[in-house]
Amino acid sequence: MLLLRVAEEELVQLYLDEKLFSMVHFYVGQEAVGVGVCSQLNPDDKVLSTHRSHGHYLAKGGDLKRMVCELLGRSNGAARGKGGSMHMIDKSVNFVGSTPLLGSAVPLAAGVAFEEKYNKKGGVAVGFMGDGASEEGVVYETYNLAALYELPLLLVIENNTWSVNSNINERRGKKYDIATIAKGFGLPYLRADGNDFNDVSTKAAELLKGIRAGGGPAVLECLVYRHMAHSTPLMDDKQGLRREDTLERRLERDSMKLMRAELVKAGSTEAEIKDLEEATRREVREAIEFAKASPYPQQEEMFTDVFYE
Amino acid sequence: MSDRILKTADAIREATDQVMAKDPSVYVIGLGVPQGAGGTTNGLKQKYPDRILDTPTSEAALTGLAVGSAIAGLHPIVHHDRVEFSLLAADQIFTQAAKWNYMFGGGGPVPIIFRIVIGRQWGNGPQHSQALYSLFGSVPGLKVVVPSSPAMAKGLLIAAARDKNPVVMLESRWLYGIKEEVSEAMYQVPLDKAQVVQQGSDITVVGYGDALYTARQALELLGEHKKRVELIDLVSINPIDHATIHASVQKTGRLLTVDTTNGAFSVGSEVISKAAQSRVGFVDAPRGLAAPDVPCPTPPSLSEFWYPTKVTIANAILEMLGLPRIDLQLPFEELHLPPTTTL
Ligand SMILES: Cc1ncc(C[n+]2csc(CCOP(=O)(O)OP(=O)(O)O)c2C)c(N)n1
Ligand SMILES: [Mg+2]
Repeated sequence: MLLLRVAEEELVQLYLDEKLFSMVHFYVGQEAVGVGVCSQLNPDDKVLSTHRSHGHYLAKGGDLKRMVCELLGRSNGAARGKGGSMHMIDKSVNFVGSTPLLGSAVPLAAGVAFEEKYNKKGGVAVGFMGDGASEEGVVYETYNLAALYELPLLLVIENNTWSVNSNINERRGKKYDIATIAKGFGLPYLRADGNDFNDVSTKAAELLKGIRAGGGPAVLECLVYRHMAHSTPLMDDKQGLRREDTLERRLERDSMKLMRAELVKAGSTEAEIKDLEEATRREVREAIEFAKASPYPQQEEMFTDVFYE
Repeated sequence: MSDRILKTADAIREATDQVMAKDPSVYVIGLGVPQGAGGTTNGLKQKYPDRILDTPTSEAALTGLAVGSAIAGLHPIVHHDRVEFSLLAADQIFTQAAKWNYMFGGGGPVPIIFRIVIGRQWGNGPQHSQALYSLFGSVPGLKVVVPSSPAMAKGLLIAAARDKNPVVMLESRWLYGIKEEVSEAMYQVPLDKAQVVQQGSDITVVGYGDALYTARQALELLGEHKKRVELIDLVSINPIDHATIHASVQKTGRLLTVDTTNGAFSVGSEVISKAAQSRVGFVDAPRGLAAPDVPCPTPPSLSEFWYPTKVTIANAILEMLGLPRIDLQLPFEELHLPPTTTL
C-alpha cells in the first residue's frame, strides 16, 4: 500500500513539474482496495483493470520501473511505451491488462476465468471496475453469463461515488441497491470499507473461498474515496462538487492513515514506519530516474505489434 | 477584438442554447453533460434544469432512450465524449435510428442529433483517438457532418436541429479551442454541401474537420503557389458532395485528399474512387494523404509521425505540382497541443 501511495505522490509531482504527456488517473485513496484484494490472490490468479490502473498493477506485483517507463512513453515500458498510463500489463505476474473503456474489462475477466475453468487450472480471475463502470449494460450481462457458466470470477466494484464529475446520486434511481441486484443474479455479494485494508482483505478472502470451492462468481463492493480529481494530478475540491466526501472527511478516513494506526497498534515504531517510507520513496525515485534515462520508441516501432508475431 | 470571436466549443454551446430556447422538444443527454461536456454545454443546466440530463454510465441505454424519444416526437441531442464510447451504442445508432424510417417504408421521422467527439491529443492513444469517420460515412440513413470551424459548427448544429432525421456531428476535439467570428444570428449551414474554401487552378485539395484546418495552414507554406490550390471542405461525409469535387478536379486535373485517420477505407479513398469513376480528367494520379494503417500510438514521440501535418500536406501538394519539398521541423506545441488560432 505504501508503494502505491508513494509512487502516486512522486508521479503527481513529476506530472506537475514536467508536463508529462500521458492521460493519468491517480489511485490515491483507493490503495486498500487493490492491495486488500490482491493480498488474497495466488500468483497464478489473474487480474484485469481499468483506466485507474496503477494501483491494481502494483498490487498484483507489476514491475514498478516498467510502469513508470510506460507513463513516460519509453520503449522499455510495460506496453513498450505505446499504451501509456491506462494500458498496463505485466504477464509475468498475471496482470492481464487494463483498458479505459468502462465495463469492458468485466466480460474480459469473465473470459479469463472461463479459460481457467476450461483448462482446469484452478485459478481465479479478478475484474476491477469503478461504480461508474458498474452501470454499463455489459456488466449486468456478465453477471448472468458468469453465473450461468459458474466461473471462478471475482468482480470488484470500487465505489468512490464519482464517474468523472458525475455523482452517484445523479446516476442512479433512489432505490438502486447492488446487494439486491447481485442477489437477483444469484451472486454472493459483500460490501467492504474500501479505506480499510483489513476489511477488504477479509471480505475478499471470504468470497474467494466460495469461488475457489466452485461456487461461481461473486461481487465485492468497496466504498472508498477518490482523493484527487478524476484525471489530473490535482485536487478538485474547489469545484464545489465534493459535498459528502470533503477533504476533511477523506483525510479522516484515509487508507494510509488507518494502516499506519494498525501498524502502530501491532507494535511498529514511528521510526520503523518512517524508514520504510523513505526506502520506498528512494525506490520510486530510482524508478523515475531510470525511466527518464530510458529511450523513446523509434519511429519504426509505430508499425510493429499490430499483429502478434 | 469583437466579442463575437468564439471558440468552437462556445459556438456549439450557443447553437445548443438557441435551439433549446426555440424548440421545447430539444433536450441534451449524455455522460457528464450538466458539467459542461468540454465547454459545449456550459451553464445550460442552470438555464434548462430539466432538459440537460446526466445519465448513468450506460451508453447503450441512454442512446436507445434518446432514439425512442425521437421516434415519439422529441428532438434529443445525444453527446458522446469519444467515438469509442458511442460504439457501446452502435446498435441504436446504426441499426435502429438509421433504419427506422426505411424499414417501415416511411415509418416516421427520427429527429435526433448525435454529437460525437473524435479524440486527438497527446496521450490519448489506441483506445481514445480512433477517428472512425468512414464507419459513420458508410451507413445509409445517417447524415454525417464534420465541422472544421466554430462558425460552421454552429450553423450545422442549428441545421441538424431543424432536420427530421438522425444527424451525426463528428466533432474533432482538436479544434475545440480555435476561434472565429461567429454571427449571433440563428443561421444554418447546409448539411449536405461541400464548401470551396479557396479557388485555385492546378490542384484540388479535399479535407474535412481537423484535416481541413491543417490543410488550410499548409497553404500558408506554399508562398506564391498557394493560389494554385483549390481547397474544398467536405463538411458532410454522408452524403459526400461529389459534384462539387468533380467540377473542381475537371478544372485542376489533380486531386489530393487528406484524412487525419487511417488511410484504408477512408473518406479520401471514397472521394478518389468516385472521381476516378466519373472521368474527371486527371492529369496526374490522385493521391490520398492519411495516417498509416496502424492504431494511433499514445506517446508524442510516435504520434508525431502518425498525423498528417501542415508540412506533410504542403509537401504532398508541392510534389504533385512538380515543385521541390520544403524542410521544416514543427515545434512540440504545434504537433501535440490543440491549436488556439483565430481563423
Ligand atoms: C464506455 C466509456 N464511457 C465513458 C468513458 C469516459 N470515462 C472515463 S473514466 C470515467 C469515469 C469512470 O468512473 P468509475 O467507473 O466509477 O471509475 P473511477 O474513475 O471512479 O475510478 C468516464 C465516464 C469511458 N472511458 N468509457
Ligand atoms: Mg467512480
